[in-house]
Amino acid sequence: MLTCKEASFLASKKLDKKLTLKERIDFSLHTAMCGLCKRYAKEINALHQLMKKVGKKDAIVLSESTKLSPKSRERIKQEIDKALHATE
Amino acid sequence: MAHELSPPEQWLSLYGDVLYRYGLARVRDPELAEDLVQETFLAALKAQANYAGKASEQTWLIGILKHKMIDYFRKASRERTQEFDEQVVDEENDDCFDQQGSWKVDLSHWSKPEQSMQQDQFMQVLQQCIERLPKRMAQLFILREFDGLESEEICELMSIATMSNFWVMQSRTRVQLRHCLDINWINP
Repeated sequence: MLTCKEASFLASKKLDKKLTLKERIDFSLHTAMCGLCKRYAKEINALHQLMKKVGKKDAIVLSESTKLSPKSRERIKQEIDKALHATE
Repeated sequence: MAHELSPPEQWLSLYGDVLYRYGLARVRDPELAEDLVQETFLAALKAQANYAGKASEQTWLIGILKHKMIDYFRKASRERTQEFDEQVVDEENDDCFDQQGSWKVDLSHWSKPEQSMQQDQFMQVLQQCIERLPKRMAQLFILREFDGLESEEICELMSIATMSNFWVMQSRTRVQLRHCLDINWINP
């Protein structure tokens, strides 16, 4: 019988890679008996699906309060201007 | 519908912050993220003619940034040591399970996770929880979950010694993240 730690590992691995037959059987046996691991597996799966969906729409992953500093903005602006003039 | 590019003079004000956030979340280094933004705009200037209008302007620019970022990871990982990975996969270093391998942290019941996760508040907490992860774990996690890279690609790109190290790190990340959500997200 797997420990919860081992079962949580398989619940996670399952999202990145197909489990082997033995892993699948061990995992089902454990979650049939263990409500916590069953819950854990269900929730990280929901998280995984959500992130996949968000990811398709260019997930930014940082809050909107994070902005370029005025200094770096100015530097980048100058670089763009330089490149624009070079091509003219 | 075909998209059109706006004048390059406007790119910085339109997309500078979005690109910066995208990069910063992944490289976790403000200076480096700024450089990536700059490189992206300069590369976009050169590639303007190739813009087919299939993707929105923002998606197109993020695509260029993504390439720049992957180049950076590839270069950086050649010089990296494996020390951090070894620490993470070390059995002793686990604060979510006890010595018998049973849960040591609480797992509260999330009612209807699919529905409640749609809320903005959830995304905010998720972002904060990802920010709190150790840098390397956050990078692997974002590349896999949001950017959809395959495990094998990530291992190669980030010079992870074995696939099993990758899975252990992913597993630790998910346990930690779930725990952080449990504490900080008021589940309706």
